[in-house]
Amino acid sequence: MGVIVKKVELTWLDRSYVWPIAQGMIITFRHFLKQIATPTSKRFTIQYPDMKKTLPKGYRGLHELKRFEDGAIKCVACFMCQEACPARCISIEAEEFSELNFTQGFEEKRPSVFKIDMLRCIYCGMCEEACPKDAIWLRNEYEVAAYDRLSMNYGKWDLINTYAGADGKARLTQSQESPATPSRPASTSGNQAGPS
Amino acid sequence: MFLVFALITIIGALAMFRQKNVIVAGLCMVLTFFGVAGLFLMLSNPVAAALQIIVYSGAIMVLVLFTIMLLNSHEEEPAIQARPIQRWVGASLIAVFGAFAFYIVMGSKALADIDKASRPIAGMNLVRVGEEIFRHYLLGFEIIGLLLLSAMVGAVALTKKEL
Amino acid sequence: MESVTHLPGLSAVMIWTLLKVLIVFSAVMGIASLWTWVERRGSAMLQDRIGPNRALLFGRWQLLGLPQLVADGIKFFFKEDQVPPHVTKSLYWLAPVLAFVPALIGFAVIPFGRDFTYKGVPYHLSILEPGNSMGMLFPLAIGAVAVYGILVAAWSSNNKWAILGGMRASAQMVSYEISLGLAVLAIFMKVGGYDPSEIIKDQMASGWFIWRQPLGFLVFFTCMFAESNRLPFDFAEGEAEIVGFHNEYGSMKFALIALSEYGHIITASALIATLYFGGWAVPFMPEAPVLLTILFFLIKLLFFLWVFVWVRWTLPRFRYDQLMFLGWKVLLPISMANLIFNAWLMSRGH
Repeated sequence: MGVIVKKVELTWLDRSYVWPIAQGMIITFRHFLKQIATPTSKRFTIQYPDMKKTLPKGYRGLHELKRFEDGAIKCVACFMCQEACPARCISIEAEEFSELNFTQGFEEKRPSVFKIDMLRCIYCGMCEEACPKDAIWLRNEYEVAAYDRLSMNYGKWDLINTYAGADGKARLTQSQESPATPSRPASTSGNQAGPS
Repeated sequence: MFLVFALITIIGALAMFRQKNVIVAGLCMVLTFFGVAGLFLMLSNPVAAALQIIVYSGAIMVLVLFTIMLLNSHEEEPAIQARPIQRWVGASLIAVFGAFAFYIVMGSKALADIDKASRPIAGMNLVRVGEEIFRHYLLGFEIIGLLLLSAMVGAVALTKKEL
Repeated sequence: MESVTHLPGLSAVMIWTLLKVLIVFSAVMGIASLWTWVERRGSAMLQDRIGPNRALLFGRWQLLGLPQLVADGIKFFFKEDQVPPHVTKSLYWLAPVLAFVPALIGFAVIPFGRDFTYKGVPYHLSILEPGNSMGMLFPLAIGAVAVYGILVAAWSSNNKWAILGGMRASAQMVSYEISLGLAVLAIFMKVGGYDPSEIIKDQMASGWFIWRQPLGFLVFFTCMFAESNRLPFDFAEGEAEIVGFHNEYGSMKFALIALSEYGHIITASALIATLYFGGWAVPFMPEAPVLLTILFFLIKLLFFLWVFVWVRWTLPRFRYDQLMFLGWKVLLPISMANLIFNAWLMSRGH
């Protein structure tokens, strides 16, 4: 179905160009005065490195792997997020876990490797939707950048710590976890020089 | 000063003839026009100098260059066959016209005035040009106007298929 | 001063002329480079943006983005001066000069202040003394020559888009020159002379020409936009949309071409101020002091420079056929009618 465009009949005043141009110039000058009178911080432009946009609730930024209060990881390595991911950027390896003094002790399963390739991630939030344990969240951090491709490959400990600074919590490393973790080196997670 | 402008004029003209590239030749012609404008200035006739630049280099040469660019023929085609007679006729015509011009200039009354006169020649200005044209040479002016008009109408008639 | 004048070949007049040349050219260059800043900041303000403000002087002072000028200058100087392999070398080097020189010397006849007498010697505040019988023909001639910078740049680049841009620009400038000349002619007729100082004197005596010839002003004003290749008639180079005549130019050569555009708009606004707004004349003060007249000329000049920026960010670009329509079928008849009407008005008295 086409749209019927109404043809605007121009009056002789409009045809002369002079009056419409004067009108337009008045409009732009009004904008000029308004913009001059506004202090820089109150103008429309968000001057990015100095000012940051307040993000809406539910913004899908960098991921965080959630933990219980006692520090046990919520993820049970069910592979739901890996399946749901349209970009195929999540790769998980599961391991057995039977330390009963942690909340997770009842679960008996957790990821030994949880990798997200941030270069492939499209921040769609499907992993968040798919997670039965509410263990992976997409939060409001959006400055995900690095100098090489390898450091964009976030491992389990990077993902746990992504919002440690923002939440005012201490960064967790593998050694702080219970000594009962299997002696198998779980840090195949690339590097620790992830985001801060 | 005279030598400078004369040299500019002559060098421009010669370069124009020697130049194979049409556009560069056109630019050399502009240089010639500037030399001529300078010569007009030396003759204390700034109006003619200004008009020379406005009309010739500003409008006519721009249009000529414009057309050359449109036709996209930057390189001159070599002559199909050399005809010595053309060269001879050209040279003799130049000689005849040159002698004629020399004769006219040397015989003119103004030149004799310059030799005698101690007074400087009054500078030309637009007001005087107007007076000269519309008081003394009105008929010629009108005839030139008519000629140009008819040339314009003719050009439009030739180029426009459906009138 | 006394000792200098005794040097052979140097008289007070010559020093004065040199001084004027120095002051005027440095002022024109200064305003031109300043206006690259005004253009960007002003356009930002007109469009509710902020504009360049990241360049800091010594890493500290923002100064409303003015250091951007310095940064740009440094960048232009130190950029690699690349000459594409397919250009016509000599003309490629010549073109920026051809564009730049007319932009500078067009200003020469415009008086920027009242004449004054010091120790019995009259001094004129314009580079070429009045009464040179070149008068207003000079800027017109220079404006006519300004096309060559564009044409030569376009052709020597050996690039089809550059040639197309150059052809658009040259056709446009040639077409608008006619209405421009006719509009100015009406003023020459009214004044009975064509020296800018005569025109200003006449305006001081009997009112500015904006009131006496509003139609002529409209034509002249529009043609000035076309002559200086400014929006809404910027067919020589249309920033993002149409590729222009200088797209093979880089570094300082490009800077020269870009500055010459600003030189043109300075000359254009000076012409508008002189012809239609009384030049250095101070309203209601026929005997204003010299410095005040210079100040008023500057104010008028800067206002019209600002109008150039203002119009640029208000109007969209014309289509090319609309441009030609406006030039040949609207402005030319209007300017002719203006001329004939004024001639009729003048002939009634006789």
